[in-house]
Amino acid sequence: MVYYIFTLVFFCFDYFILAMGLNIQYGEAGILNFAYIGFVAIGAYFTGVFSLPSSAGTGQHYILGLGLPFPVNLLLGGLAAMFFALIVALITLRRLRTDYLAIVLISLSLVLYDFCNNFVSLFNGADGLYNVPEPFAKAFGLTVNSFIPFFACVTAVISLLMWFVMSRVMRAPVGRTFRAIRDDEVVAAALGKNVFLMRLKAMLIGSFYAGVGGGLLIQFGGSFNPTAWLPGETFVVFAVLIVGGAGNNIGMFVGALLVETLLIHLPAFLPEIPGHPGLIEYFDNAVVGIVLMLMLWFRPQGVVPERLRRAASFGVRSGLGMLPQAPIEPAALDRP
Amino acid sequence: MSLFWLSVGFGFVTASVLAVAAVGLSLQFGITNYVNFAYGDFMALGGFFAYVLNSEVLHLNIWIALVLGSLLMGVFAVIVNRLILGPFARRFTKPHYVLIVTFGLSLIMLNAEYSIWGAQVRFFRMPIAPALHIGPLLLTRNQLIVIAIAIALMLGVHTLLKATRLGKSMRAMSDNTTLAMTSGIDTKRITTITWFLSGTLAGVAGTVLGIGEGNLTPASGELFLFVIFAAVILGGVGSIYGAMGGALLIGLATEISAAFINPAYKLDIAFVLLILTLLIRPSGLIARPGTT
Repeated sequence: MVYYIFTLVFFCFDYFILAMGLNIQYGEAGILNFAYIGFVAIGAYFTGVFSLPSSAGTGQHYILGLGLPFPVNLLLGGLAAMFFALIVALITLRRLRTDYLAIVLISLSLVLYDFCNNFVSLFNGADGLYNVPEPFAKAFGLTVNSFIPFFACVTAVISLLMWFVMSRVMRAPVGRTFRAIRDDEVVAAALGKNVFLMRLKAMLIGSFYAGVGGGLLIQFGGSFNPTAWLPGETFVVFAVLIVGGAGNNIGMFVGALLVETLLIHLPAFLPEIPGHPGLIEYFDNAVVGIVLMLMLWFRPQGVVPERLRRAASFGVRSGLGMLPQAPIEPAALDRP
Repeated sequence: MSLFWLSVGFGFVTASVLAVAAVGLSLQFGITNYVNFAYGDFMALGGFFAYVLNSEVLHLNIWIALVLGSLLMGVFAVIVNRLILGPFARRFTKPHYVLIVTFGLSLIMLNAEYSIWGAQVRFFRMPIAPALHIGPLLLTRNQLIVIAIAIALMLGVHTLLKATRLGKSMRAMSDNTTLAMTSGIDTKRITTITWFLSGTLAGVAGTVLGIGEGNLTPASGELFLFVIFAAVILGGVGSIYGAMGGALLIGLATEISAAFINPAYKLDIAFVLLILTLLIRPSGLIARPGTT
């Protein structure tokens, strides 16, 4: 029972990190990153291969195998995801509109999956990675049972640290510029903001969060399986973001708690229906989609709405993409 | 050399599937101006409709099942537009909301298909046909029928767009919806008809994909989606004739490359072409005015 609860705690905090990363890309800078889970996978893979010992004699195929200790490999995994994001962003971000970008990114996500699944000598094919060392297990003498509560706490601490950093970024001028670009790209460009450079920054920061979140996932589970990184998984992170409320970090935590913990992982403990393997899981995923649509229709601002920032938005919630409902206040227009 | 010609034959079959799918996607994109990310799942569902008619109830001939299943899929697409996508598109002015909704629709449909039909691979019930030599090509009778269906549908779409009043209205609406509306075109009716056509073409494409590949699973449309996108972007987004040309190029390129590299990566060639198109000529082969 304790085991279950701490598994839920782990997933809640891990998806909190993932949702914060997607939030700065989509909720703040307006990049519709449908390949998000690809960056999570890159982070997971590199965290894994940085901590695994050399691949000779393990029966697996992977590169590096440096056997680095825990926080270092996680950091490098995040940086690997960031580096990958840099390549992707340089090719795609400069000239593509929202929907073209979404098409290219979702294609990228599918291709990454296809590629990982087939390329045995680099990614070990459909088998993925396994036997990834559990961090601190040897040093503290942790068993299989005590590792899970321990690592859930480690994840909680890391996520709170990352939340602190992210809330500083969002309050800084760079965060205001992101929101300005999201709300009106042309106006932001006219005010002298380099839209491409700002989007690139959002993409890189978000991908680092994706990589760290993915790294924690592989350290928690000890294995890497390509089927866990299908594009549908990106949608779960989007569901966390929309349900929680795009554009604010507290909402990300609420979303992670509601969607990831309650909707996705709690039903996994239900007994299987005999004769229909996986039915609950399929049904559950469909429910996540339905919940997201209902949420978008009835409460598009999420459970915890983005705080109204007067100076940035002239009192109009234009970030939602809905027609303005409140009249523009003349007093607000005086501000720069 | 015979391997090369064999691949060319497969290339024409893949190109046929792609052309039907890409035209269906482009028609809908031109009219409603947002991409349907659930299109791959539309294809799979259409394939399953045909499968049910072919193997579970009625036991129809595969080609009759194809027609009926596709028409059912067309009706399904109209219902989806009326109940879900249409209202969302009208309510939110920024495009990314509808894109997320279609992405969610894809997840719902995929998992609904898994819930109903399970993850096991399905096969159509159809006679095994001997291979025929046509020039240097080697094709089975079923593959020839698939190619014929695609050519007939392309000619049909061409006639519809160029020679009928409905097609003229569709082209007008695709260029400028507001202007079309003020000129007295019933845009709601055109949208419904377009969704019906798009769904029907998705159903045909899903079924012939199942016939061409020899199997059908709920996920078979999803992985095919980026190949369709590659064809659509290579041809020029929103351009019907571009989609046809892009489909032919991508279909041939993926299958011919399979003769030289590991066939497991043949679909990835489509992605490489997609990226090259975006870098060299982002508007595609045939640019549609006002969309770049």
